[in-house]
Amino acid sequence: MAIIKNIKNINLQKVRENKLYKRFASLKTSCVFLGILVGFYILGTIFPQGASLDDYIKSGGRFTSFVIFFDLLNLFTTPGFLITAFLLFINLTICAIERFLMLRSQRKTVSDGSQFSESFSFPLDINPQLESAEESVKEIFKKELKFNEKACPHTKDFGVGACADSGITIMEKGWSYRWLTWIYHSAILLCFFGFFLTYLFSYEDEITLYPGEAAAIKPAAVSRWNKSWGSKPQELGFKLMLDEFITEYNQFPKLDYPADKLSRLAVAMGWKDPKYILKNESYFPKDWKSRLKVINLSPKSVIGEGKQTVLEKTIEVNDPLSYQGITFYQAAYKQNLKVQVDDNPILFETEVGKELIIPGIDGMLKFGAIRTGMLFKKDGSTEKIKPFTEATLIKEDSSGKREVEKLGKLEQDGGLYVADKRISLREFKEASILSYRYDPGVPVLWWSGVIVLLAMAIRIFGAWYRIIYRIEEKNGRPHLLFKVKTRGLMADEERLIKMVQLSFLNMTEPIDLDTPV
Amino acid sequence: MLFKPYTKNFGAGVNSTMSNLETILSRDAYILSIEIRLYWFVALVYGVCLVLYLIHLITKKTGPGRLATNMLWLGVITHAGLIMLRTFEGQRAPFQTLYESLSWFAWSASLTYLYVEKRWKDIYLPGILVAALSMGACLYALLTRSPAVEPLSPPLQSYWFEWHVVLAFLSYAVFVVSCSIEITYLTIKPSVKKGLRLEYGLNSGNLETFHRQSFRLALFGFPLLTFGIFSGAAWANDAWGRYWGWDPKETWSLITWTVFAIYLHSMSMPRWNKLPASIFNILGFICMLMTFIGVNWLARLLGIPSLHLYAM
Repeated sequence: MAIIKNIKNINLQKVRENKLYKRFASLKTSCVFLGILVGFYILGTIFPQGASLDDYIKSGGRFTSFVIFFDLLNLFTTPGFLITAFLLFINLTICAIERFLMLRSQRKTVSDGSQFSESFSFPLDINPQLESAEESVKEIFKKELKFNEKACPHTKDFGVGACADSGITIMEKGWSYRWLTWIYHSAILLCFFGFFLTYLFSYEDEITLYPGEAAAIKPAAVSRWNKSWGSKPQELGFKLMLDEFITEYNQFPKLDYPADKLSRLAVAMGWKDPKYILKNESYFPKDWKSRLKVINLSPKSVIGEGKQTVLEKTIEVNDPLSYQGITFYQAAYKQNLKVQVDDNPILFETEVGKELIIPGIDGMLKFGAIRTGMLFKKDGSTEKIKPFTEATLIKEDSSGKREVEKLGKLEQDGGLYVADKRISLREFKEASILSYRYDPGVPVLWWSGVIVLLAMAIRIFGAWYRIIYRIEEKNGRPHLLFKVKTRGLMADEERLIKMVQLSFLNMTEPIDLDTPV
Repeated sequence: MLFKPYTKNFGAGVNSTMSNLETILSRDAYILSIEIRLYWFVALVYGVCLVLYLIHLITKKTGPGRLATNMLWLGVITHAGLIMLRTFEGQRAPFQTLYESLSWFAWSASLTYLYVEKRWKDIYLPGILVAALSMGACLYALLTRSPAVEPLSPPLQSYWFEWHVVLAFLSYAVFVVSCSIEITYLTIKPSVKKGLRLEYGLNSGNLETFHRQSFRLALFGFPLLTFGIFSGAAWANDAWGRYWGWDPKETWSLITWTVFAIYLHSMSMPRWNKLPASIFNILGFICMLMTFIGVNWLARLLGIPSLHLYAM
């Protein structure tokens, strides 16, 4: 209660007159904060973000003490960056509040308008009566030119006040650019809120699923918020089962095309021609798909064995699965294979891409990705791929220098000879690697992003017009005196004047735009 | 002969699958050879435009400038044909690889410039930067990148692909033209104020209106760049499971956006809306080039992994 009482006692006007508040309400301050953030961003692209210090040093990174001191490998979570972003947020908030107060007061303020200075003068010919002319002009602006009459606001932009007492009428057409500007700046503030939710509450991890297996999901990490309260990761209330993992490839012929610049010029001159060559290894990934089932662990849902599955979906890159706020993405896949050496009944197991030492073979064997699944050929036909891998032999001398020898294609149940030993591919299995993420900031960000884009597009691309006019008697004839203000890229002042001219043609003499007033 | 006639009989009398495939491959190679030679022709036309614009700069005569603009139209129309051919070859939007996106960049920048230039009478100086960039982009693609038509990799198979790239590149194109106007304005303003070098079509009466185009173009490009960043984030969220990962390409696009935001705000500040604003506009253009090309070089130089490797 005391806090509420204190808040009520705060003199807002006094706060708004505070020097620091005024500094924060300035556009210049926004630009300064944005400039500082640019500095952080540039640093973030020079130092690899999220890399470990060891990796950084191994890849030739220098200035290590500097990197450690300023935590440059995690720059975007350092207090320096977060404080700058927070200050920009405060600056934006104050600017949005000030703009809102200004817009609200503009709608209410009525000032005297004694200094109205027009740009164009326009003799009205049909009616010598000033009162009738006023009504006719208003009607034309409203019905023919689709303008709306506005209450006499304080027209700061015109450098003067305007008021109904002085016979001034204000007409507007199009969405108010000031409100649109306010809306998208406020939506940017909402985006900040979305980022904040992501920063505090999001967590992510990976899960490896083998076909036919239902795996429990227990994230290794917790959100920053939970971490700060000492919470530990908890298993989620459902399991995920991989029914099938599908890989598809496009036939991708290799292009025989010179790399050196002179030979390329020869192609340009028509002395050489590019060629497509089809080789066995001409495979280009088309898709990876995982057919998934979500199995609910809640006791209430377990009515029968088949009833446990609450959701089925085949996911692929760009088409994730969402359940209970967690989104699962097709991240990668893993392959394990078993090879047989000669007729030895004991099989050697290894993972694709890892080195395998087999007794009796000088060096290490390494197997490339196993191509399996469906091949989509250039001629439009499809073919089931007979699983195969590319084998290499790696030899390392005493100085640590490595020599890589390509052994060739190893098909399933086929063989390759290495140092008089026959290597056969007997079995292999694939696992789908899914990344998953909980991020409550995403919906906030998307909705605010849509608002930013819409309001910004209407504000910048649209057209807004304001005409302030007065009808005055000059030399015994009523004259239309007016001034135009436009905003937006589509706004065309000249066209508007022409339209005014056309609309008043029946009741006036031609407009004289050159008449200085 | 630049284009050899293609004499293979498409599929006629071909029975085996292999020979059918060979026919397809020879046809593809033939179309690619036409495309490469057309690309070189376009690069040459942009080069001739650049030379003509430079002659205009040196001689102060309007003739070479006018001829350069007409040549640029020729280049843009041929280039449009080239892009259509590439679309036909790949059966998809032609901006997957850097080879393709450089072509798209050169074409969109030149086309935007020609559209803007129509409003002026005998002002050709901004064409120098536009022609130089278009030629440079084409030569960079032709001399260093592989022209192979690749199928779309899984992350690129998204409805965001076309929208994200087209609108982001449209923003790049308008920023190029905006910067070329800005540089022209800054270099010629002192002379025009003294009543000198009026042969370039700019005088004290039209100089500020000419310069205003630079601001209007940046204003036009800004929402497009904003859309590019938002759509990229939405796409990354679908494909990689997070909307922002501080990847060098993402970060540089944010830098470009921020610098242009500073520029647009500075235009409404009395103390900043002259030379400082002009500098921000040029900086924004440099950042845009970094986002498009420079970041690849930076990532390679510093060994920073990037998820945007397909665009490198």
